[in-house]
Amino acid sequence: MTASIIADDITVSFPIYENSHRSLKNAVLNKSTGGRIAKGVGSYPVVTALDGLSFKFEEGARIGLVGHNGSGKTTLLRVLSGVYAPVTGHLRVEGRVASLLDVSMGLDPDATGFENIYLRGIMDGLKPAKIRSKIDEIAEFSELEEYLNLPVRTYSSGMMLRLAFAISTNVEADILIMDEWLSVGDAAFGIKASQRLEELIGKASILIMASHDAKLVEKVCNRRILLEHGKIISDEMLPEHEEHDGHVQDNSVVNLGSHP
Amino acid sequence: MTTKNLDQENDLSHSAATDLWVGIKSWQIWFTLGQHDIKQRYRRSVIGPFWFTLSTAIMVGVLGVLYSTLLKQKIDDYLPYLGVGLVVWQYFATTVLESCIGLISMSYLIKQIRIPLTIHVCRVIWRNFVILMHSLPVAILTLFIFGHKIGVEILLLPLGLIIILLHGVWIGTVLAILCARFRDIPPIIGNVVQIAFFFTPVMWSPEALKDRAWVAQFNPIYHLLEIVRAPIVGRPILLESWVWSIAFLVVGFTFAQWLLTKCRERIPYWL
Repeated sequence: MTASIIADDITVSFPIYENSHRSLKNAVLNKSTGGRIAKGVGSYPVVTALDGLSFKFEEGARIGLVGHNGSGKTTLLRVLSGVYAPVTGHLRVEGRVASLLDVSMGLDPDATGFENIYLRGIMDGLKPAKIRSKIDEIAEFSELEEYLNLPVRTYSSGMMLRLAFAISTNVEADILIMDEWLSVGDAAFGIKASQRLEELIGKASILIMASHDAKLVEKVCNRRILLEHGKIISDEMLPEHEEHDGHVQDNSVVNLGSHP
Repeated sequence: MTTKNLDQENDLSHSAATDLWVGIKSWQIWFTLGQHDIKQRYRRSVIGPFWFTLSTAIMVGVLGVLYSTLLKQKIDDYLPYLGVGLVVWQYFATTVLESCIGLISMSYLIKQIRIPLTIHVCRVIWRNFVILMHSLPVAILTLFIFGHKIGVEILLLPLGLIIILLHGVWIGTVLAILCARFRDIPPIIGNVVQIAFFFTPVMWSPEALKDRAWVAQFNPIYHLLEIVRAPIVGRPILLESWVWSIAFLVVGFTFAQWLLTKCRERIPYWL
């Protein structure tokens, strides 16, 4: 079995509940009064974020999602990572998905660095023995050393990002989902992080990356999908580069200095 | 394709219909998370979770002396009765109140990682159960202090505890889902819990109502309380309490399963 993603006419729309729509009292009153008292409860605005998308990604696909803010890129990434289920249409995802969306969101500020590594591992479904073997790797990579014994809320934002990056890139995945290229930390760490990311992309059979950086998309991806108002406007193959396995040779794109 | 090595990983893939089952089955996850919550709460204190033990001892002692006088009960019988009732009640009350925000407060995780939503609920239930396990011994200790003997009925206690643990799971699941959708439910639940406390035989015993004891019989919380309290303090074991509790458990889980199947995929949109 190979990794693949098949989407057939998927649509995602968000209900926008204002306070009155969040109220049980109003919902009940509305039922009993036919809407005379609690006006507007029955109808709430709906934002259609993705509108009837169909596509097929197969082994070796390096997808670059482009489009303006609010065009549905991040929503699509969330759908592919399983957070949102399509409201209508079918989505079939084969293979293990790793998503690097808002990497620092999952951190518990009151827990220590080590605890955060452990908790994240647990929630990824790993058994304790497996997590313990990963802890050293993550600790070493993040270079946070004894800071890992302190609560994450005491970290600087750079340190927090390093930890989040180290945790979320320590995965095995067939399908990698990224929102913009992650660049972390100072120059030295940035190079290391960039290498790690390239390695991860190289290993994944499918990459889906949303980006505003046209040059980066051309470098990393072999297919570009343009979204606008939740619809696919264009879907084109990009000319192959010599390093079509996803390596970014020219690091100037991610302003991280040259490759050793 | 990378496949899951089941020696090293739990399989968390689930659909709306299997959320409840996969969630409960992944005990390692909610166990760890619940344990973490407790550790977190008492991180800077020396005696840690034994604060629960201490505060229960103080509360039971003070209320026991006060109410045994007010209600003209013999303190050596009343104190154990009140002690067990109070700690079990506290388990129910905090479980219910914390379940209301069980999914809302975890929205940052729910929008990040797809795991069964039941795990977030079980985490809340488990940490409250651990607290119960720290405070129940105090109540049992009062029995010894007043020279009571523990009867063979105590053998039913583990079963009773498992039943109230499971009740927590379905009640928590239902409330967490409803509260994620309707944000005015948590304060309503807060009021209901407060009123229920006075209607449930925690501080008073149903025998005190004499010919109106039926008020207690129709209260499901009374039966849940009794399956834990009766084996400890040696009150008569009522078959109807066990039947009620188990029947109610089946109905409750059926409802939770139905609700989850219907709403699982919509919940992330509500948060």
